[in-house]
Amino acid sequence: MLARLRVFFRFQESGLLLVILALGVLLTVFAGKVRTPVFERAADGTRSRVFTTDATGERIPLTIEKNKFLNAQNLAQLAKDTSFIAVMAVGMAVVIIAGGIDLTVGAIYALASVVGALVLQRYGAEGLATTTSPMLGILLGAGACLGVACLCGLFTGGLIVALGVHPFIITLGGMAIFRGIAFVITKGQSVGAFPAAFRDFVRFEVGDGLSFVPLMTMLVVLIVGWIFLSRLAAGRRVYAVGGNELAARFSGIRVERVKLGVYLISGLCAGIAALLSLGYYGAATSGDGQGYELNVIAAAVVGGASLSGGRGSALGVVLGALIIQMISSGIVILGIDQNYSQIIIGSVVIAAVVLDHLNTWLARRRLTAATH
Amino acid sequence: MSAYLEFRKITKRFPGVLALDDVSFTVERGTCHALIGENGAGKSTLGKILAGVYTADSGQIMLEGRAIAPTSPLAARALGVAMVHQELAFCPNLSVAENLCLGDFPGRAGFVDRTALRARARTMLATVGADIDPDTLIGTLSTGREQLVQIAAAVGTGAQIIVMDEPTSSLSAAETADLFRLIRTLKARGLTLIYVSHRMEELFALCDHITVLRDGRHIATEPIPATQPARVVTQMIGRELRVHTPSHLTRDLGPVRLKVKNLSSPGSFQDINLTVRAGEIVGVAGIVGAGRSELVQAIFGLDPAVSGHISIDDHPLPLGSIAHALAAGLGLVPEDRKRQGLILGLNCRENTALAALPLLTRLGFVRRNAERALASRYAQRLRVKTPSLEALTAGLSGGNQQKIALAKWLARDCDVLLIDEPTRGVDVGAKAEIYQLLDELACEGKALLVVSSELPELIGLCRRILVLRAGRIAGEVSRAAFSEATLMQLMAGVNAAA
Repeated sequence: MLARLRVFFRFQESGLLLVILALGVLLTVFAGKVRTPVFERAADGTRSRVFTTDATGERIPLTIEKNKFLNAQNLAQLAKDTSFIAVMAVGMAVVIIAGGIDLTVGAIYALASVVGALVLQRYGAEGLATTTSPMLGILLGAGACLGVACLCGLFTGGLIVALGVHPFIITLGGMAIFRGIAFVITKGQSVGAFPAAFRDFVRFEVGDGLSFVPLMTMLVVLIVGWIFLSRLAAGRRVYAVGGNELAARFSGIRVERVKLGVYLISGLCAGIAALLSLGYYGAATSGDGQGYELNVIAAAVVGGASLSGGRGSALGVVLGALIIQMISSGIVILGIDQNYSQIIIGSVVIAAVVLDHLNTWLARRRLTAATH
Repeated sequence: MSAYLEFRKITKRFPGVLALDDVSFTVERGTCHALIGENGAGKSTLGKILAGVYTADSGQIMLEGRAIAPTSPLAARALGVAMVHQELAFCPNLSVAENLCLGDFPGRAGFVDRTALRARARTMLATVGADIDPDTLIGTLSTGREQLVQIAAAVGTGAQIIVMDEPTSSLSAAETADLFRLIRTLKARGLTLIYVSHRMEELFALCDHITVLRDGRHIATEPIPATQPARVVTQMIGRELRVHTPSHLTRDLGPVRLKVKNLSSPGSFQDINLTVRAGEIVGVAGIVGAGRSELVQAIFGLDPAVSGHISIDDHPLPLGSIAHALAAGLGLVPEDRKRQGLILGLNCRENTALAALPLLTRLGFVRRNAERALASRYAQRLRVKTPSLEALTAGLSGGNQQKIALAKWLARDCDVLLIDEPTRGVDVGAKAEIYQLLDELACEGKALLVVSSELPELIGLCRRILVLRAGRIAGEVSRAAFSEATLMQLMAGVNAAA
């Protein structure tokens, strides 16, 4: 038993799992109860409320009492919300491990969303191209969404490589440019009315309201990200560039190519999240994803990606995203004023960095104590 | 009467290394006391404990009979102990005067009194006889002059003990001579110097006592007149060091592997012509700034401004492209392993495999078994001392880090190796191992171009030595004519009569 525990603690992400467990327990204990109506599912798949008749013969809706946090619906919601952030956080982790930073993710998310939405709208019920197959429209829309996101990533990555400027400056500018473009092409209006098949696909639910597609997308991105970072030569080069750029160059690694690649990956991940949001919410505006860069960088940092480069993992940042999202939804569940959420998330990021330093220090001390 | 400065049972642990193990010895006032040992022997650590950079895990330091325990460099300064560091002691973006007064700016109400600042700096510089304009930016000074400023800072703040960590490692001969003169002056004034180095000839020329450390343990403290260099070497490495002639010298040379014609790079070197044949070790000598590192980096494709011709095995090599250099079988072990050679945050396996990564990849995936096998093969061949191949290279000693930096290019199986300072900051034992390895590589038919600032190293190792002076080849010396005097004259550009 003790040996097994030790193996668990040697596992890099065990600390994050413990934090998640602790947060879950805390939220469950302090969330309190909520009464929710009971639904039943008819044979044709439609849901309707269940009623009961009281003593006076009046029909009243049947409700049951649930824990505000620990119930199937809330957990499904948490899983869905986490998916969006986690997908982007995996891309951010790759950039951060390479020693960079990408502030454009929220803006790329918005721009990719509205471009995809404009294409999808043409093929939607009220669109101009209703005669063609909706499948083609969905593919074109998805392609436009992901393509624009990749182009944005290439644009920032290309500028960072070509000018040799700190990525913070370039992506800060890119953030404003991309969101501005999104605003200009939509004139600030919401774009909606997509082919129904697309929404139905992304909103496909299993069990009690668990959105299957965002969750699966997150798992796929996590697995691909994990394989990329830990098993592929390309991933090794990302760690090398982030760890020591000059030594990487002296080892024959094409540093420029690696840097361009990581911003492309980050852009693509923002595009994937944007595509999910299109299907899930059925509309897009230039204001989407405002402030996502904070949540995404927070997830990466909380998940153990080192801002000095060379350290981090895909699983870590996905767990980091879950922690950030648990805190966000915890604020709602515990009835704390929404306006505090940014303060709390900001504090969590700083706390994570402090903990990381503490952990490094402890590991050093353990190693030192073990020296004879 | 108790000793002036006494170390009592000092022990210090770092992750994976017992840096100091129960070290005790005494230092007399007004002497220059040498601390010598192989890399990782603990000599720098001991100096840093005295200067408050590190704190000892156990043991005591006694100064004039009182126990002192400086917990920071500032606390050590207050006790009269200062350290002259190898690098990064100052803010390079500030002036000499500002750096000298960094802890205590003269001024009023937050405004710096610039006249007083300059005057104070001039006084401090004068105490060490340094002729440096206090308004110069530290970043524009040479290492030697920056060191002078550091010593001025130490003396000017009333230091009685100055710890010097490898002060001559990047000084020219003239700067070294100046430094020695200054050290003798300081000693005459009653200051005590702790001189950390592994350059034997310096210690014997300069110091009064010598303390030898090995693997963190105190081996001996003796007055210099009572010992000899050979004895100290034996104490340092714990065995007799055999000097042997490299066996590659007796073998026949193969065809020309590396040929450089009219290679020039503006501001670095001009009109370089050289050839290296299979099985040959060619040395490149020259003083700092002669263009040695620039030359090998340009051959490796790191200099985009280079012009001329390079061919490998008679095939022309496109200039300024590392990718082509790698494909042609070139490898470069750079001068500064921490900055250019290794990724300290990656482990030994990953660093060893870094240059060979394209050869270890199938469909983009790293072949993990092949990688592990490769890394362990070279770790064994180079006798790398590490707890495991998964240990971070940051935790290794200098000699073992250098072996990993070499292993990286051996793993890539390069035919032409450019090696810049193969043994800088490497201890005597590891040095001998590296020389033997280079000999083996030449015997295997590889072509080696070795840059070094240690002439005995080139003389012991090479078949021919090219001497660079001010970016041009000043001469070529063949093995029969090797002598330090000949090489020095070529390097400095003076003839024997002068």
